Amino acid sequence: MSAPGRAALRDDHVAAVALAGLDSLGARRLRVLVDHFGTPSRALRAVEQRRARAVLATTFGPNHRHLLDPLCARWAAEVDVGTTGALLEARGAHVWLDGEPEFPIGEPVPELPVCLLAEGDRPAALHAPRVAIVGTRSATPHGLADARELAGTLVDAGVTVVSGLALGIDGAAHAGAVAAGGCTVGVVATGLDVEYPRRHRTLYRDVRAHGLVLGETGYGIGPVPWRFPVRNRIIAALADIVVVVEATLTGGARITAEHAVRYDRAVFAVPGSRRNAASAGTNALIADGAYPLTEWSDVLVALGMTPGSRRAAPARVAPEGDGRRVLDALGGEPASPEQLAARTGLGPEVVALTVAVLERTGWVTWSQGLVWPQ
Amino acid sequence: MLASVVSATLLGVEGHLVTVEVHVSPGLPSYTVVGLPDTAVRESRERVRAAVLSSGLVFPQHRITVNLAPGAVRKHGAGLDLAVALGILVATDALPADVLEGTAVLGELGLDGTVRGVPGMLALVDSLARRGVERVIVPASDAAEAALVHGVHVRAAEHLGALRDCCKGEAPWPDWDPLPAPRPDEDDDVDLGEVRGLPWARRALEAAAAGGHHVLFSGPPGAGKTMLARRLATILPAPDPAEALEVTRIHSAAGHAPVGGLARRRPFRAPHHTASVPALVGGGSGRPTPGEVTLAHRGALFLDELGEFHPGALDALRQPLEERAVRIARQAVSVTFPADFQLVACTNPCPCGLGPPWCGCSELQRARYRRRLSAPLLDRFDLRVAVRPPEPGAPTGESSAVVRERVAAAFARQADRYRHRAWCRNAHVPAGALSEMVPLHGDAAEAWLTECDVRRLTGRGAARVRRVARTLADLDDVAEVAAAHVALASMLREDVP
Repeated sequence: MSAPGRAALRDDHVAAVALAGLDSLGARRLRVLVDHFGTPSRALRAVEQRRARAVLATTFGPNHRHLLDPLCARWAAEVDVGTTGALLEARGAHVWLDGEPEFPIGEPVPELPVCLLAEGDRPAALHAPRVAIVGTRSATPHGLADARELAGTLVDAGVTVVSGLALGIDGAAHAGAVAAGGCTVGVVATGLDVEYPRRHRTLYRDVRAHGLVLGETGYGIGPVPWRFPVRNRIIAALADIVVVVEATLTGGARITAEHAVRYDRAVFAVPGSRRNAASAGTNALIADGAYPLTEWSDVLVALGMTPGSRRAAPARVAPEGDGRRVLDALGGEPASPEQLAARTGLGPEVVALTVAVLERTGWVTWSQGLVWPQ
Repeated sequence: MLASVVSATLLGVEGHLVTVEVHVSPGLPSYTVVGLPDTAVRESRERVRAAVLSSGLVFPQHRITVNLAPGAVRKHGAGLDLAVALGILVATDALPADVLEGTAVLGELGLDGTVRGVPGMLALVDSLARRGVERVIVPASDAAEAALVHGVHVRAAEHLGALRDCCKGEAPWPDWDPLPAPRPDEDDDVDLGEVRGLPWARRALEAAAAGGHHVLFSGPPGAGKTMLARRLATILPAPDPAEALEVTRIHSAAGHAPVGGLARRRPFRAPHHTASVPALVGGGSGRPTPGEVTLAHRGALFLDELGEFHPGALDALRQPLEERAVRIARQAVSVTFPADFQLVACTNPCPCGLGPPWCGCSELQRARYRRRLSAPLLDRFDLRVAVRPPEPGAPTGESSAVVRERVAAAFARQADRYRHRAWCRNAHVPAGALSEMVPLHGDAAEAWLTECDVRRLTGRGAARVRRVARTLADLDDVAEVAAAHVALASMLREDVP
């Protein structure tokens, strides 16, 4: 893999990645090690020589104290600078250490990652304004369409779309940016050699071609539940603005939003219906002070950019007759065909035909047993 | 010294004519049965001997050989006892040979000479009638069942001794009791009129009944899927006489004696989800027995909680769904059971049951739940409908009688259209014959192409939409399929669960 504009790797880079590729050595422990020993290379030697025990003892709670010795032993045996260096060279990865001028997170924020590594064809993606689009994995067709549209609008204005390469909203945001030919950065919680979820293998390839796949985790680390919320802070830190499209009350997207607030990033949330469980999180964010996002160009304004003339919406003929009645019956919310039939008084065949015609002309979509207005 | 008596044995759900040959020759007393008998047939020797002696007749103290022809078919059960006994009586001149001319004999013997009933009498007599047998002597308890077959003269036998007198004309043939009156069925009380709301699911059920389509209902608990599906039996028209005989014959062969005459309604089978593969499709070691798919022949098979069935059992349904028959091959025998049934199934969309977009299950849980239903099985449902709980106060719909009338009219339209064909339902039209039998014109053709494009239908999916559209047009009693029928057919084939 060619790596345009990649700076040469130093020992510290390789050492940091090698340490970050150890199982159970997460962002917090890596930070403690590097802060104590001064540089990643020295921290690496300490781990190899099993001198890190006392330093790391504070990061183990009373219930996990017994794991400290076995882990230190395992890390000393497993840490492998040679293989890591070869992998980094072979894959053409970029590595940045905290404090370097090129480090993608410009200002110091709490819990700053020690190192970030990235792979992909467009490292310039990080030099543009960055907006994170995040949301729930179980999104509605509305949410998916919103994420795609918003991503498309943003990349058209030259903004880089940052997200987490998860199913649902994240995937739609990346896909929207890719489809519009813009730059996008996928922040992952696994090693860059792991593609998770597997359903997104094609999307991973597209994101690499249109930007970067980025993470703080070394090679070989698979999906571990606790690493995902930790990863979310990088999404918040990388972005200038965080947009939550759809979120449940307890999901990872809310965690990202909370990090963004702590890091002093503007948070936008797309409001939704009270009936939609996937909008409960965004509505709660708005109640907590997030900006309600109803016009995509508001994000550009918040970035200090001038929204270009809005692209003319594709001309569509306003439906008449039954089509009008069905659209009115929808009232902007998804409805089942039964409800439409009951509200309009039309028979099942007529409703079906009207919905089919409306779908063909782009007014509604028919999915998951519901008719969704577009 | 040689006698030959016609009888029959069951193989699967079909009767097979068996010729019982009895040879009595001088020699040391012995009794040999040849011609692939099973244990029950071989044991007939003790029953026949005791029955003959108890009836005050003479059992020959000679060398007796009983041959059951054709030798290649395995004979089952005790139904050949009476034929063997009469053969011995004829061979020893206790009965004149001509009294059994053109007559078949069926029945099991008790040690006291009583003639006992045989399961599957209807199938046995029906097969004999088709082979040109005009008279049958059957146990009195089964005589009414045997008399359901047209063109056969039935004579009842209660006791071996009395039967000999009747055969010789020394006593009148006994009368027999009529079939027991049907017990009121619990399904008699249910009616489609009790179902509130669910207009689309009702529409799908009606189309399924009319066109013989397989239908899947997916929805949260309490939405009314099961209630609706159970009422499919009430809107299916009564079977025609040939179908009624077929249905009754299969159930008789499976050990369910008919009540009140031939079946007057189509079977509706609802096995529990713990059903095994042989219980569903038939089989079993040794003698293959019909499974639920065969018992549902010409009717419906209802699988509630489809996702809870054993995946192997569900995938075993794929072949009978496609071919409308099950071939069970065993080392000794290979049997084909008819299985022309329509499948109606219910499932929850996900473990929590609520379904998108209100569902609280994780993506992984949903995917795992969906994997329980294989894509090829889901693809075989022509109609897949999400059932949402009706709003409180939703009105009740039409009664079963009203819907049944429309379904019957649609049946008639199909029978007329397919009168020279091997199939008689829209769901069975082969893909190759669709453009000829279900032509689409103008708007309908355009709507069909659009649906294929927008929904990315596979070839099979597109053909299914077309068949359902034809059924919807039949229910509307119109000759031409309209664009609205195509649109509704496509909408009734949702991507559920």
